[in-house]
Amino acid sequence: MTTRPPVSRRALLRTGAGLAAAASFGAPAILHAETKTLKITTWGGKWGDIMKATVLPAFEKEHGCTVSADQAFPYVPKLQVSPRNDPLYDVLHTNSNEQWLSVVDGLVMDKITAKEVPNVADVYPYAVSDKIVGVSIFTSAIGLGYRTDKGITPPKSWKDLADPKLAGARGGYLIPVNSLGQCHLMMLGKIYGKGLQDLDAAYKALEQLKPIKLVDFTGQMEKMLLSGEVVEGVIHDSGVYRYEGANRQPVDFCSPSEGVMALEQVLNVTPGSKVKELAFAYIDYMLRPDVQKLLAEGVWYSPANKKVKLEAKYDAKLLTTPEKVATLIQPDWKWYNARKDDIDARVTKILKG
Amino acid sequence: MSMPPNKQPFDLGKAAYLGLNLLLLAFLLAPIAIVLVFALNPTPYISFPPVGVTLHWFDKFFETADFMRSLWLSLWIAACVLVLSVVIGGACALALARGNLPGRAFLTAFFMSPLMLPAILTGLALFQSYLLSGIGRPLWGLIMAHTLIAVPYVLRTTLAVLHNFDRRIEEAASVLGASPARVFFEVTLPLIQPGVFAGGVFAFIVSFDQFPVSLFLVVPKGETLPVVLFNYMKFDLDGAIAAASMVSILLALAVVLALERLIGLKAYVKL
Repeated sequence: MTTRPPVSRRALLRTGAGLAAAASFGAPAILHAETKTLKITTWGGKWGDIMKATVLPAFEKEHGCTVSADQAFPYVPKLQVSPRNDPLYDVLHTNSNEQWLSVVDGLVMDKITAKEVPNVADVYPYAVSDKIVGVSIFTSAIGLGYRTDKGITPPKSWKDLADPKLAGARGGYLIPVNSLGQCHLMMLGKIYGKGLQDLDAAYKALEQLKPIKLVDFTGQMEKMLLSGEVVEGVIHDSGVYRYEGANRQPVDFCSPSEGVMALEQVLNVTPGSKVKELAFAYIDYMLRPDVQKLLAEGVWYSPANKKVKLEAKYDAKLLTTPEKVATLIQPDWKWYNARKDDIDARVTKILKG
Repeated sequence: MSMPPNKQPFDLGKAAYLGLNLLLLAFLLAPIAIVLVFALNPTPYISFPPVGVTLHWFDKFFETADFMRSLWLSLWIAACVLVLSVVIGGACALALARGNLPGRAFLTAFFMSPLMLPAILTGLALFQSYLLSGIGRPLWGLIMAHTLIAVPYVLRTTLAVLHNFDRRIEEAASVLGASPARVFFEVTLPLIQPGVFAGGVFAFIVSFDQFPVSLFLVVPKGETLPVVLFNYMKFDLDGAIAAASMVSILLALAVVLALERLIGLKAYVKL
């Protein structure tokens, strides 16, 4: 006579299968609960390479989350049409002009303070000034890029771009689509008129810059300077310095004596984000000195955190002291955006052809 | 003295016609030639004359994971769109041409309407619809959006074939005992095949090059090649863009040649 085991093989298999099924049904829910996804926007190019290779994986590991980084423009229109209570992004990374467009529509928060993001306590005042919504994590200086081999006197002032010798060899932007072009227009108002908001003076000065080569993106301006097609043009310092050592093109950057315009990299959180704490943690992480140093030296952006210590060659050229930061001029994007349509129509008429 | 009998007199009209054709050809091919020069030039910016010849930009294109992922995704989407638009567009064309449907002219205009709207608006509207209905941005949503744009091409080319279709051939097959299904597969389909496939070629190319609709519907790590190229161009305007363009052109050419092998380009010429 054989004795039956207390639990039959068939019952064991059935129970095991049942447990496995229950586990497999439950697993996605558990995973979902544990692994949060942070949806952000970010730039491409070298910045995007560093983010994807180093910065984002480290953040994911640190916070046990996944980061979905959108690099496909345009971010603000996509955010505008997504539901407010379930926005397409948790963290919006854009330049300052687009943040101001977004805050008017209630798409992003007004301010980010040290209460939500502790590292905000260590940033230069410009990064959280009244000209900023959200927080600026880096800035570039918008000034003049120029060729050193074309026999021109190195520029010292914004006015030097109007030198008749540069006719047809100076470079600017399609103002309606490029914030550097918009900054340059405001700077013309300051130099030739009563201030950044003196549009009549700016239009008059813009007329004097013709003929001028216009591009859509800063990347195009970089290449036009490298190729010598543009001898002197409006560009941010990063767009010149990042080629240092990569080629032998004689190109340099000038911070004009009247000051440089700020091209801020701004992060902000969407009010309807379902992972707001994680979003704040991400901004805090991006302001951390080690992350700031990595990105600043990778793409030649000036870090917003005062505590960041850069290598000597970066420190010499970037805005890393209160004195250098004081040369930054921040435009009032709220004012500019409110009259953008009129400005676009006027500058298009001026630069047509 | 009279002219030799075998020497043709100079024909000004013919010369002008030839000259015009050469100009048109140059106009069409010049951009491709410029792209090729840029793709082979070693400098990291557009410069003329070129300073040398290199395959570095092609290497960069094929070695960059983002480019490769988006290239295969674009090919996959275009292949799906080809199949879907051929089935949907072909069926619509048959229904419109044969179905004696009320409001046929309206229906034809309705199916052609995606071509009338700016594609960027179509993309934005679909994006909003998907989000509001809670679908998100799935891959099949992108395929359906491309199909929406591609169907009118198949519809138009198939309708053109059906317009000159001699229905007596189908009637003869029926009289000889063929079932409706057999008539369709053995008589109708082979005869409308040139129109359907011509539309299919257009559908493939329209999908593969589609930018405005994709712009709103792609997701992170799921971008199509045109979107990746656009974003790349904003930050790095180098020869990799030109190399990618050349690869796209060659792929489109390969599709056309493959179809030529399958059904013959002469069939298209008749359209």
